[in-house]
Amino acid sequence: MEEDDPSKALDLIKDLVFRLLSQNPTSNSSPTSSDFQKSLRYAIRILTSRMTPSIAPDAAGIAESIKRRLATEGKSSQALTFADLYTKFASKTGPGSVNNKWAVLYLLKIVAEDRKCRQTQFESSVLLPNLVASDPVLGKKSSGAAPEKEWQKGVLLVAKDPENLRDVAFKEFANLLKEENEVTEEVLVRDVLYACQGIDGKYVKFDNNSDGYVLCNLIKASRATRTMIRKLCEMGWLFRKVKGYISESMERFPAEDIGTVGHAFCAALQDELSEYYKLLAVLEAQAMNPIPLVSEAASSGNYLSLRRLAVWFAEPMAKMRLMAVLVDKCRVLKGGAMAGAIHLHAQHGDPLVLEFMRRLLRRVCSPLFEMVRSWVLEGELEDIFSEFFVVGQQVKAESLWREGYRLHAGMLPSFISQSLAQRILRTGKSINFLRVCCEDMGWADAATEAAVAAGTTTKRGGLGYGETDALESLVDGAAKRIDKHLLDVMHKRYKFKDHCLAIKRYLLLGQGDFVQYLMDIVGPELSEPANAISSFKLSGLLETAIRSSNAQYDDPDILDRLKVKMMPHGTGDRGWDVFSLEYEARVPLDTVFTESVMSKYLRIFNFLWKLRRVEHALIGTWKTMKPNCITSCSLTKLHHGVKLQLLSTLRRCQVLWVEMNHFVTNLQYYIMFEVLEVSWSDFSNEMEAAMDLDDLLAAHKKYLHAIFEKSLLGEQSQTLCKSLFVLFDLILRFRSHADRLYEGIHELQCRTLESSLPSGDKSKKNRSTEKSLETASWKADGKKALTQRAGEFLRNVEQDLASLAKEYSSLLEGFISQLPLQQHVDLKFLLFRLDFTEFYSQLRPHV
Amino acid sequence: MPREIITLQVGQCGNQIGMEFWKQLCLEHGISKEGILEDFATQGGDRKDVFFYQADDQHYIPRALLIDLEPRVINGIQNSEYRNLYNHENIFVSDHGGGAGNNWASGYHQGKGVEEDIMDMIDREADGSDSLEGFVLCHSIAGGTGSGMGSYLLETLNDRYSKKLVQTYSVFPNQMETSDVVVQPYNSLLTLKRLTLNADCVVVLDNTALNRIAVERLHLSNPTFAQTNSLVSTVMSASTTTLRYPGYMNNDLVGLLASLIPTPRCHFLMTGYTPLTVERQANVIRKTTVLDVMRRLLQTKNIMVSSYARTKEASQAKYISILNIIQGEVDPTQVHESLQRIRERKLVNFIEWGPASIQVALSRKSPYVQTAHRVSGLMLASHTSIRHLFSKCLSQYEKLRKKQAFLDNYRKFPMFADNDLSEFDESRDIIESLVDEYKACESPDYIKWGMEDPDQILTGDGNASGTADPSLAV
Repeated sequence: MEEDDPSKALDLIKDLVFRLLSQNPTSNSSPTSSDFQKSLRYAIRILTSRMTPSIAPDAAGIAESIKRRLATEGKSSQALTFADLYTKFASKTGPGSVNNKWAVLYLLKIVAEDRKCRQTQFESSVLLPNLVASDPVLGKKSSGAAPEKEWQKGVLLVAKDPENLRDVAFKEFANLLKEENEVTEEVLVRDVLYACQGIDGKYVKFDNNSDGYVLCNLIKASRATRTMIRKLCEMGWLFRKVKGYISESMERFPAEDIGTVGHAFCAALQDELSEYYKLLAVLEAQAMNPIPLVSEAASSGNYLSLRRLAVWFAEPMAKMRLMAVLVDKCRVLKGGAMAGAIHLHAQHGDPLVLEFMRRLLRRVCSPLFEMVRSWVLEGELEDIFSEFFVVGQQVKAESLWREGYRLHAGMLPSFISQSLAQRILRTGKSINFLRVCCEDMGWADAATEAAVAAGTTTKRGGLGYGETDALESLVDGAAKRIDKHLLDVMHKRYKFKDHCLAIKRYLLLGQGDFVQYLMDIVGPELSEPANAISSFKLSGLLETAIRSSNAQYDDPDILDRLKVKMMPHGTGDRGWDVFSLEYEARVPLDTVFTESVMSKYLRIFNFLWKLRRVEHALIGTWKTMKPNCITSCSLTKLHHGVKLQLLSTLRRCQVLWVEMNHFVTNLQYYIMFEVLEVSWSDFSNEMEAAMDLDDLLAAHKKYLHAIFEKSLLGEQSQTLCKSLFVLFDLILRFRSHADRLYEGIHELQCRTLESSLPSGDKSKKNRSTEKSLETASWKADGKKALTQRAGEFLRNVEQDLASLAKEYSSLLEGFISQLPLQQHVDLKFLLFRLDFTEFYSQLRPHV
Repeated sequence: MPREIITLQVGQCGNQIGMEFWKQLCLEHGISKEGILEDFATQGGDRKDVFFYQADDQHYIPRALLIDLEPRVINGIQNSEYRNLYNHENIFVSDHGGGAGNNWASGYHQGKGVEEDIMDMIDREADGSDSLEGFVLCHSIAGGTGSGMGSYLLETLNDRYSKKLVQTYSVFPNQMETSDVVVQPYNSLLTLKRLTLNADCVVVLDNTALNRIAVERLHLSNPTFAQTNSLVSTVMSASTTTLRYPGYMNNDLVGLLASLIPTPRCHFLMTGYTPLTVERQANVIRKTTVLDVMRRLLQTKNIMVSSYARTKEASQAKYISILNIIQGEVDPTQVHESLQRIRERKLVNFIEWGPASIQVALSRKSPYVQTAHRVSGLMLASHTSIRHLFSKCLSQYEKLRKKQAFLDNYRKFPMFADNDLSEFDESRDIIESLVDEYKACESPDYIKWGMEDPDQILTGDGNASGTADPSLAV
């Protein structure tokens, strides 16, 4: 229309602008004024623009919306009026009526809304609202041809109006869009599929705030659809999580130690994801295809609807969810702990889950099982990421067995039982022990044998989760052979039993002749103060003792290990207190004979050595009073009183000796039978039965402990031990008294001979003849003095002995009365031996 | 090297049992009759150097002196398979070869005459050893050489080697049959005095009991000397096993004897052995356990000393000490059980004046001697009933002495010259006091025995009075 009548339209515009401006009292409204010109130009520009509203042109819809608006504003009468007017307006068809009805209505509506907002603001010089305010009038007036041209292009009130105004306009516009934008399902399906791959779709996007994929708010969608989409998009969320974990782990992999198990886990997850990708690809391909229908007539949707998708996703969703859970669980774990955590989820009744978990675990555990394999067959700890449940640490060879390796409970997956783990630990440990401590290569054969015996499952990677039996049989096979080999090596090559026997012979004084000889030659040396003793000299004496006794026939290797050891000593200590023997246990035997074990042996040695010393002292005393020593023939010449005194003193000395000797020998017998021999026979039985080094260690520990406890060295028998040592000291004191007595008697014997010889005795002894001739002059006088002196001496000694005997019996009583209170049943044997004839229990019926 | 023991075998009997003893030792140590170590004798653990030493050619020579006043037995040895075993320098046969004529005094006197020769030999042997432990004398107390010369040697050893132990294996005559040696009681008494005073330990081998055992236990109707001697050699070798197979305890003679002889005077030991077999005699093989062996050892029928005690006295008799040497494979736990059983059954009576117990030594068995029994045992015991043996000797002596019979043979010798028979009386007194001491040991008051003097109250607080009064001291 413009073409036919452009000038008419221009005139109309001019007129319109003039009218609008003239309403404004402040402005100069002459057609020539600059304001006017400006406004005119602006109006023309607007009108010539091609802006169109984005909403669908629907006159009835607009009318309805206006009506509703009026109604909600409480102007129901106006609404009615409007409805009435609209019907009239709409019914006017034909020439002369308004063609573009909806545009008119739309204009009216916008103007009305605009005006409402702007009622108070009328300051701007050129106000389009004013212009628009007159629109209805204008519209009605120009119900001819002209207005239709103008409205046809659609009206958008965009001008130099304030910003908020524009916002409002956009908002309106957006609402409008929303009202209008309803998206088809296929688009949504596509978006959902995208989302499930972790990609933002057009409408379905990841929202950080709500941590999930959401459908764009702008889209008009039913609540059901939204819910459905949200549900389906959980897959996307889970996917994101899993994928995120994998890529994160993979990125970290070389730098940080997620470990081989973690790596395997990622790989397994990746595989599962690629399965999932495949599914998605298929789904995507299918998404566009319509469902082939039997009847052409019925309209069909696409192959994939959201609902169908939900069905398709049911199984992958379960898996994905599981994976996400695992990923969550495993985020901070690694190695065995990870495998264990995953294993915990495998205990599931659902065969689907079970199957899935098995597959996963097979992959995850394979590095772990590989470690077990190389550990039990090769003793290699291939565990750079410290994932294995066996942990090694650098230790000295002697403590390799005890401290070198241990189980890391945290890394022990629950599908490997504690006992199996122990066996695994021990087997590899044995190999390492053989390799490091025994310098043995034979274990490789044993391992190969074990590998062969265990069958083909031992190929690299051949073991898998769920084959715990196979693992167990492999471990058992390897353990059996390696342990056997290890014991063989210990027994045959390192002569374990021989060394134990050597220790028993030398440190536990079993080799009697050697000990005797050592006691003989070392004894005088040891009476010196400790700091005056050269251990070098003692070593020489030890050497002599070895060469002089049957020890000389012993293995030189064993003898070489026997050393003198001086314990740290303080001032006032005698050699007796610090002397001891030590046995050098070299690698690998030092695993058994550790320092603490040897220190126990040392204490036992000291005890036995002390006991032996006391026994030695008593026998020495016996030797001085042995039967043919006191030739009573010479004593018959003594004065009767002195003789009786002598008799009584000697008797007292002998009887005390009998008691002491009884005590010491029976203690010795107890030590020999009840302590050493019995423990040894137990030990050798256990040694035979030992299946592995641990058994052997335990047997030895038991052996040592038994000896230690029974020798009164244990914690519980400390008081007993103390009183025993007091008794020992007393016995040693007795020895010096007895020695003094017998020295005195010998002197007496000589003197008596001297004094009696000149009287023409037919004694065969003649060595002191000359002397006695000289002394003949003081004979009578001397004899008297001699008798007196002798009597005095004997009386003194007897008194000493009597007090010694008193002290001894009270001490012994104390000792004996403590015996039944001891926990060790074997100490009752000692009591039994000591009191064999019930001598003590009769003496003290109250005991 | 250490703890060597030199064996002196004196007289006919001494040399016979000595020879048996060496035979047995050679067997046990795997030493051939020539003194060469057998090829099979490679198992160590035994100590040969206590009784043997090695010559330059490595062959083993017994530390033994073979002494006799007549050549018969020693010639026999020198013509036997074992002639090369002994050191010929150690064989002493008196020049005249006339023996001692079953006369103690003759033997003693001749002993004095050859003292230097013999002491030279002994000194040589003693110097050849590193730490001589002592001497073992094998002899009989009834004859002339073993008793008389043995007595002289005992005195000399006691004087010369007073620090060394002297142990004797003394064969007591068979008193059941009338001996061809009529002066046996004299000889026995005189020897007993030396055994009491100059020996440290006397292992009493009672021929009466040995015969009885041979007859009763071994079922030999008429046991020969060789058979009884093999019993003796068994006992001798068994009693030395702990010395020859060192163990935890009892590795030297002094240790062994000290516990056995708590009272110096009572140093006469009885022996028992089970199970007994005589060479190559097929015996019924019994099951032997430690308990079994220990129980048998306590039975009087297995003891090699006759008991002349009447029942009442026998019930009073007490053990002063017991050492059981158990040989063979023994589980040490059995020892304790056996001891317990023995105590429960009250199978053994011990002295009451002091503590006592059965000592048990375990010893290895020689790997070279095959025995039918798994376990065998020797008992060495000091028992008060042995006093009856001495009493018997005494009474027989008294009978003879009363008649003044056969004393002329003794008067020929310096000791008894001028009819000085005080040696007899002195010996008698000593034996009597020995018997008394044994008797006293049976009572719980042994400690006070000998001090209740009717004239002086010396026990307890009376101690002082005896010496406080110098007037008494002349």
